[in-house]
Amino acid sequence: MSDHVTEWLNAYLDGELSGRRLHQVEEHLAECETCQSELESLQGLSALLQEVPAAESISPERFAAQVNLRLPHRPVKRTRNRIIEVGWWMVPVGLLAVWIFISTAILVSDMVSAANNIGLLDNGTALLISGTAENAGWTAALGQFGILQGNSLHWAEFTESFSRNVLPQFAWQVSIALLYLAWIAIWWARRTRQGHGQLLEG
Amino acid sequence: MTGEKENPTVATVQTVHETELVKSAQNGDRSAFGELVREHAQGVLNVVHRMCGDAQLAEDAAQETFIRAWQNLSSYRPQTSLRNWLYRIAVNAATDMLRKEKRILPDDIDDLHLPDGRPGVESLVSQQERITIVQKAILALPEASRAVLVLREYEGFSYQEISSTLDVPVGTVMSRLNYARKLLKEKLQPQLSLLEAEHV
Ligand SMILES: [Zn+2]
Repeated sequence: MSDHVTEWLNAYLDGELSGRRLHQVEEHLAECETCQSELESLQGLSALLQEVPAAESISPERFAAQVNLRLPHRPVKRTRNRIIEVGWWMVPVGLLAVWIFISTAILVSDMVSAANNIGLLDNGTALLISGTAENAGWTAALGQFGILQGNSLHWAEFTESFSRNVLPQFAWQVSIALLYLAWIAIWWARRTRQGHGQLLEG
Repeated sequence: MTGEKENPTVATVQTVHETELVKSAQNGDRSAFGELVREHAQGVLNVVHRMCGDAQLAEDAAQETFIRAWQNLSSYRPQTSLRNWLYRIAVNAATDMLRKEKRILPDDIDDLHLPDGRPGVESLVSQQERITIVQKAILALPEASRAVLVLREYEGFSYQEISSTLDVPVGTVMSRLNYARKLLKEKLQPQLSLLEAEHV
């Protein structure tokens, strides 16, 4: 005799089995008294449970009136959700705007510097942008005091120029990209959760 | 429920009407929501009554269900069953009510032993006692198993329907149901034998 089908008897009783599994359980039941009596006791339990009467009939009108009295004025969460929703979609738009703004600013600044370098600008305009052309910082100061010399001075100047010009550009591009990726990750997580179980807890 | 199955045309028409009502209610239309309440009041009450085993507590839980539904209506997705959505809220509301009202929670079932096999007028009394014992045994089940048992035994839900109502996998529905019935069979062994004797 094959193994008992005890674990499938509930599903069998509830009409949830089909195909090969159903066939297997039926075949086994035909020849196994243990499983037959187990099935009978499950049927007995169902009958016993059915003895408990249902809730009394209520008047839907009266009940609805009582509920109506207790209802808050409006489904508040809807408007709040909508504001949150709009704000949520503004995040990537805002990031894009910031990115375009900074890129444009740097491009313009680079073009102005280049124009200045080849002498296209008159003195007045050149003065306005002299701040950006100013490269001498702490390395030059240290060089004057003779602390840095030769190769090390050259290296320090290069490092300072790099950290002043290239590093910030790189850093903000990376941080905007990271923020955007984070947004996409959250968006994806929210979407998956909504798809999985749309129902609220309690 | 069986009515819906037997007459799918009517069910579809009702669903379209219901979708319209939900949409209005989501926009704050209280009378549209009232119609939904009247439609589902009895069903929700039946579920919470099975869950709590107490008429007054059940009515409170049913009202609480519709208030929560109203507050969270925006999260209901129209392509899913409103009834199942309400039943899930109902199960949670009933559970919360029971936790608050510890007094209803089952004391010792063993206190209530039946006077065995007395015939006549007293069989009516004994049936009432039996019902009380069965109700207590249901109440003594773990919450998760009780919800599955109620939806299966009293609402006639399929495993798939229970799975989507309670948002648990079908496998979990099966194991919780197996567990609930196993516990009940153990606790209600005397009553089961008695019932068997009556029907033989
Ligand atoms: Zn067997």
